[in-house]
Amino acid sequence: MRPAPSSTALTAVLAIGALTLMTACDAGADDASPADGTDSDGVVADDASVSIGMFAVPANLDFTTTGGAAIFEALLYNVYEGLVRVDSQGELQPLLAESWEISDDGLEYTFQLREGVTFHDGTEFDAEIVKFSLERLDEWSANTPEDLSAIDSVEVVDDHEVTVVLSEPDYDALFWLAGPLGTMFSPDSVDSLATEANGTGPFEFVTYENAVRMEFARHDEYWGEPAGTATVELVYYEDASAAANAIRTGGVDAILRSEAYDQLESLEAEDDVDVLVGSTQGVVVMSMNPDHEALAQPAVREALQHAIDRESVLAAATAGYGEILGGPTVPTDPYFVDFSTTYEHDPELAREKLDSAGVEDLSLTFTVPNRAYAEASAQVIQDNLNEVGIEVTLQTQEFPAVWVEENMVDQNFDLTLVNHVEPRNMANYAHADYYWGYDSPEAQNLFAEAASATDDDEYVATMQELTEQIVADTPGVWLYNAPNVVLSTEGISGLPENDLGVGIDLSDVTVAE
Amino acid sequence: MLLHVIRRLGVFVLTVMVASVVVFFLLGVLPGDPARAQLGLQASEEQVQALRQQLGADRPLPVRYLEWVTGFFSGDMGLSYASRTPVAPQVLDALQVSLLLVLGGICVAVLIALPLGILSAVRHHRPDGALFSGLSQLGISVPNFLAGLLLIAVFAVALGWLPSGGWSPPAAGVDFLRHLALPALALGLVNGAILARYTRAAVLEVMREDFMRTARAKGLTPGRTLIRHGLRNALVPVVTVTSIEFANLIIGAVVIETVFVIPGLGSTLIRAVANRDLIMIQSIVMCVVILVLVVNLLVDLVRPVIDPRLRSTR
Repeated sequence: MRPAPSSTALTAVLAIGALTLMTACDAGADDASPADGTDSDGVVADDASVSIGMFAVPANLDFTTTGGAAIFEALLYNVYEGLVRVDSQGELQPLLAESWEISDDGLEYTFQLREGVTFHDGTEFDAEIVKFSLERLDEWSANTPEDLSAIDSVEVVDDHEVTVVLSEPDYDALFWLAGPLGTMFSPDSVDSLATEANGTGPFEFVTYENAVRMEFARHDEYWGEPAGTATVELVYYEDASAAANAIRTGGVDAILRSEAYDQLESLEAEDDVDVLVGSTQGVVVMSMNPDHEALAQPAVREALQHAIDRESVLAAATAGYGEILGGPTVPTDPYFVDFSTTYEHDPELAREKLDSAGVEDLSLTFTVPNRAYAEASAQVIQDNLNEVGIEVTLQTQEFPAVWVEENMVDQNFDLTLVNHVEPRNMANYAHADYYWGYDSPEAQNLFAEAASATDDDEYVATMQELTEQIVADTPGVWLYNAPNVVLSTEGISGLPENDLGVGIDLSDVTVAE
Repeated sequence: MLLHVIRRLGVFVLTVMVASVVVFFLLGVLPGDPARAQLGLQASEEQVQALRQQLGADRPLPVRYLEWVTGFFSGDMGLSYASRTPVAPQVLDALQVSLLLVLGGICVAVLIALPLGILSAVRHHRPDGALFSGLSQLGISVPNFLAGLLLIAVFAVALGWLPSGGWSPPAAGVDFLRHLALPALALGLVNGAILARYTRAAVLEVMREDFMRTARAKGLTPGRTLIRHGLRNALVPVVTVTSIEFANLIIGAVVIETVFVIPGLGSTLIRAVANRDLIMIQSIVMCVVILVLVVNLLVDLVRPVIDPRLRSTR
């Protein structure tokens, strides 16, 4: 045995260990210094940066072929723009179109385009771009291009005037044009949509580090009001608590759509964090499969409506933030009617309705997506239904992969629940083959009637009549409108309070000096 | 010795081949449709079918396996279903992050385990030895995600010394260490406690050996005896256990990366599973398998270097 090398090796190990320890201590000491500015943001208003925590992670940048709201909510209104936009109150406003006229038969939309608009790569925006972008909807495979299937042709009148011709009237066409489907693309950019974004918006796209962060910089030649901050960084989180910790520790300046409900009370108590609660497009609805023998009976479905205590569901799912719903519309819909008191929590009445339908020993399987809100809601509902004598077996399924396959594609469920976040999602009640199986010719007629409306009042009145019809037919138990919880640190303002299911406009965000 | 190396390398190559088959076919039967996952809730069956074709997900499994495996070992792992960009750079970036995290974790573990293990062995009859031993027992029973949450609560939220999450590349210097400190600590604490138990047992055993008594009899002090003769012998099982711990740390990193929002293999894998990004999942799992096999191979090759007795037995 030769001891010498071993003691050398040991000394080396100990030396490395000691060095590491010292470095670690060093780093700790450094961190205590308030002057360390690595995580801090600029504070001078005009050249300020803001970093915003977000949750839905974009898989890539191409929302024409990748589903989900994550991509377009980041890019639309910031990098990309369309002819029109929806403002924070849900009203339609001009964007790349200065004005528009709709023909009396509701079939021709003529837009006057803004002049002097260019894409970030210098391409000029004109009527040909509008024609190119809208005709390209045929190539979209995600984000429901069929919402604009009424578009028959796009006719270029001159460089700055374009007419969109519909094959049948569609009152919602302008709303869909204000969303991702109405995005204007430069023809040279469409081959690289997954990795680059070239739009006409107030911010230029800088970078996207997959699932980590996205960065925008103010576009200095923007045609409109310049963006309020020089750069915007979107930081992506999978976990609500991790994001809440980040805002407490200065890791981000704001968080949109926070679901750290259990921490909101303590965050509200903090001096330098503001908590703002707005609304989303999200309708959390429990669907009842009409192919199930008992659930096919209206009386049984009404019994379930009365059996469920929505207040308790809301308390469990979101700690009480958000609005209780009794119908398929949300407060920012132009035709919203409050049905929250239509089906009051009344277990006695629920039992009577079950008796009247002659249903005994009902046992149901409840397939639940593995999301915190859904699991919390389902447990309350399970208790509520047990109370009126319905046995419920909960079955958690991975969301979206397994849940979508089982419930939406194969329609293999008795009860299921999900937060429908797509805007104007009431339109799904028009499709008899949609997973919740609502097949009502009266409702379908009313949908058609609303689509062919020629003015706001007529449209709103028909949609309200339609909502009433759907609520009375009770294909689902509408539970609540998911809240949009916006957290921000002191000095940050202009964050959009309501999430309207289109782009999240960050151009008005400013940082106080 | 040379024969031993050749034989170990042969086993390594064979294991990698078998692992690639298992990884590909096992993950291929994951429920959920990759095309449906890309297109979202509202996509029609026709749109899904078209994408399935475009992704080549409708071709027979053996064909896809051959394409994947030849691509994988030539460095071209194909295009991610989700990001539509090459898989290889994404996996390599994430791998680099995870390796740094795991190395940090190992440093913490070794720094805890060696002093704690040695002290609790040397002083095992005394109260402080029992205390060290108890501490390591306590450490083993704390899951690393909980350690992570507690560290965040104390050092990030309450004291504000370190960031609560995120990552900086090594080029960022101090900022890199700031971001590495808490996750490496969370990862290393538990494994350090486990390793300390092994170190304690190994040192205790070696202290009872005849050659230790002989060394003492020749006039060496207890400290010198331990350092010169004891630790070298005790190190063999400790190195072996450290290599096994390495695999544990990689798995632990999956959780820690989520807690600390670190863009490593673990968080990339979890997202890939959610997106049913099959090519990405298979490539990441394969990388982890190879990594663990490489570490085992290295330990097998290094052990005879530490312990000459192992050389003669081969």
